[in-house]
Amino acid sequence: MLKKLILLIILSLGLGFLGAKAGLNSHQAIAVSIFSASILGTLFFWDFRLSFAFLGTSILLITKTVDLDSIIKFSSLEVILFLVGMMVLIGLMKNAGFFAWIVSLILRIKNLTANKFLISISFISALLACAVDEVTSIIFVVAAILEICDYFEVEPTPFLIISVLATNIGSSGTVLGNPIGILIAAKSGLTFEDFILKAFPLMLLCTAVLILILKIWYRKQLSELDKKMKDLGANEILTRLISVPPEKELKIALGIFGLTLVFIALHHRLELLWGLEPNTILLVIPLISSGLVMLWKWRKAREFIEKDVEWWTLLFFLLLFAQAGTLKYTGATDVIAERISSLSRNNPDLLAAVILWVSAIGSSILDNVVLVAAFIPVVQSLQALHLNLKPLWWALLFGGCFGGNITLIGSTANIVALGILEKERNIKMTFFRWFWVGLTVGVITTAIVWLALIFLPFYK
Amino acid sequence: MRVKDIMTKDVVSLKPDDSAFEALELLFKMQISGLPVIDGQGKLAGMFTEKEVLSFILPGYIEKVGRFIYEADPKSTKKKFLELSGVKVSQLMRKDVVTTQEEVTSSEVARVMLTQKARRLPVIDKNGKVLGIISRCDILKTMAKETTS
Repeated sequence: MLKKLILLIILSLGLGFLGAKAGLNSHQAIAVSIFSASILGTLFFWDFRLSFAFLGTSILLITKTVDLDSIIKFSSLEVILFLVGMMVLIGLMKNAGFFAWIVSLILRIKNLTANKFLISISFISALLACAVDEVTSIIFVVAAILEICDYFEVEPTPFLIISVLATNIGSSGTVLGNPIGILIAAKSGLTFEDFILKAFPLMLLCTAVLILILKIWYRKQLSELDKKMKDLGANEILTRLISVPPEKELKIALGIFGLTLVFIALHHRLELLWGLEPNTILLVIPLISSGLVMLWKWRKAREFIEKDVEWWTLLFFLLLFAQAGTLKYTGATDVIAERISSLSRNNPDLLAAVILWVSAIGSSILDNVVLVAAFIPVVQSLQALHLNLKPLWWALLFGGCFGGNITLIGSTANIVALGILEKERNIKMTFFRWFWVGLTVGVITTAIVWLALIFLPFYK
Repeated sequence: MRVKDIMTKDVVSLKPDDSAFEALELLFKMQISGLPVIDGQGKLAGMFTEKEVLSFILPGYIEKVGRFIYEADPKSTKKKFLELSGVKVSQLMRKDVVTTQEEVTSSEVARVMLTQKARRLPVIDKNGKVLGIISRCDILKTMAKETTS
């Protein structure tokens, strides 16, 4: 632990020092050092990441690298409030039995074959990740997979990997799938409609390609499942395994959630209609819905806020965004953006490729929110160089989501699913068992996005 | 009243290497819900309770999935129950155990039990060696005795 701490200090100080040598002023070098320490803190000391964020932000203020007003401005409170609202709403859905209902629907799929199972869990994982968020959706898809695999007496690992890979791909489809979606939407001005028109179809295409790859990759396991399905016959026990009471509450909760999704989908048009600032409706709708939920379920309101909102993660995001904003405030990202731009000879295709692949590789090791938070001020600085930013935002979104498939620590969904597998079935995933299939899927799907960004004018 | 005056000194305990199935049978036999686990040096290693066995048998994701009703028994529960004989007590026991010491007052133990939601507390010395065990029932019986006398 001490060795890691020393390494973290040396690396973050070294990066600041290198920056200073490369022409950054003292405040810019401090901002780079502190931000590097926060990134390395997530890599080396995941459980202590909030401590690093607290200490780092305090140093930025004490050294006058940034002032209080700016720290508050850069902390992206609108994104944090959006996530709080969505977390309360997800808490209600869980409480009303929505996720258990989804599990029961998966268990009730009729005339199940291995192929049908592969296609169903891939699309269900991808679409649910779009509608709620990847970390919530993976829990109940994994629950259904484990029950089905138990019933048919097959090893659940390949099917769990399929579901996680599809979840990470699916999380790029809307602003709701991943915290980086709402972060990019808030900073880029891209609307929910932009995501539905541009990110969603590409996500569906990549999910279809994923199914083809995995059909070949897991052909033995799929044929074994097929055999078991024929031997054991219809899944009668599974179809009546669980039920969800009471229906009225679930219907109301579904209604609130459905309306929230409709308003989020229409946010841009409503903002235009009512002359509101961009993203006002997008960010306000989860607050209105969660406010109504807390009025309806007033006895549980405190529980929703205290237990369902992940304050630890959100506080870390808040301070991380503030530190990333400080990079822009000091002008450090302008210097970095100029260098990147001159290295790519101001070629937008090359720039998009660099951002796509660097964010994909980076998010295979780092938390994608950390990576995207670091990239956002750099992309914003590129605007000053009169470059078209749209393909860069898409590159950042897809790279950040798809890169999570490459390694078993690449995204929170991977860690959550593998944690359940280890606890429930005592199966410990090895790095390389995940890596080869993850790398194949990660590289092929990122390459599809790369081609789309280069050849389809739609994305420019 | 101090803990040392009311605790049970002859503690029936389990060893970390005991089979979880046999440990569960002992709980049935003694008609209690949990026992302390003591290592070779006489130090407290953890608590083995029915709750830990149940959470081993039922899927761990049930809380995260939210509200639902089991209309049938999943295949996994029987399988997991059969696995109990191959599982050691140390694999299931709760390691984070609230403890108390001999000189503590009975009211303080009662306060700890209420705030920490514990049914019984192992009594340990400064070296972590188990000296006895005190339950809610022990405290209430003492209080009743003191009041009536």
